[in-house]
Amino acid sequence: MPSMNAVLLLSFALFSIGVAGVLIRRNALIILMSVELMLNAANLVLIAFARHSGTVAGQAIALLVMGLAAAEVAIGLALVVSLYRKKDTVQVDQIDLLKG
Amino acid sequence: MEKLLSGLGNHLFLIFGLLAVFGGASLILARNAVHSVIGFLLAMLAIAGCYLCLSAEFLAVAQILVYAGGIVVLFLFVVMLVELTKYKEKGLFQTQSPFALGAVALGFVVFAGMFWKLIFGAPAAQALTLKPEVAQGLDVARDNAQAISRGVFTEYLLPFEILSVILLVALVGAVVLAKKERV
Repeated sequence: MPSMNAVLLLSFALFSIGVAGVLIRRNALIILMSVELMLNAANLVLIAFARHSGTVAGQAIALLVMGLAAAEVAIGLALVVSLYRKKDTVQVDQIDLLKG
Repeated sequence: MEKLLSGLGNHLFLIFGLLAVFGGASLILARNAVHSVIGFLLAMLAIAGCYLCLSAEFLAVAQILVYAGGIVVLFLFVVMLVELTKYKEKGLFQTQSPFALGAVALGFVVFAGMFWKLIFGAPAAQALTLKPEVAQGLDVARDNAQAISRGVFTEYLLPFEILSVILLVALVGAVVLAKKERV
């Protein structure tokens, strides 16, 4: 059984990678994937604490988070496709309709 | 034997964790968007392996089905739908990348300090170790899927129903958003 320290540190590393990806990339698709990575890091901690406490609550919530992530991806990809139709790009720094 | 199995689980978790970090790094650093998707797939599969090491078998299979089966394929579709090649020569990263990376590194250092105090300190080492003998609640049901279904359909029934409504809204919303606009 892996120790709690290892699980927490792995989850923290994955979350940091996700934050870095959201902040530094220009491509909207890669930003969406980084958000998914952050959600998975949170799921990992939920499952580790479910194992730690011996109850099933964390695993049930992790399952719900997984469904929510699927909904989020569907909406996000639809937004990206419709943005691509309108602006002909998926680079987020070129989508500046509110700049005036 | 018990000790050997537990040591094996530990090593497996380490391997899967390193794979997940490697996949995440290649996700955010790859030049080609398709390579990013492959890195994402690797990270998701490795995280499913981590779930297995944490004895969440049902969630590991669900992770593989939902992510590797559904979400990665969706991402690949959209990557191939939008034409990315004409942006290849342009900058890959935002102009504020050094500052952003600095902020992330600062957060990492601050939280690592907190972790150090909370986890690796002497008093916390006792409370925050995984205790398999406590985890018997998961085994009261005959297997993991049974235990999860008991949790989801009794105690967490309301969030489950709300999630189904959210999924319906997302379905309709995705169709409406991605539809061609009528002129």
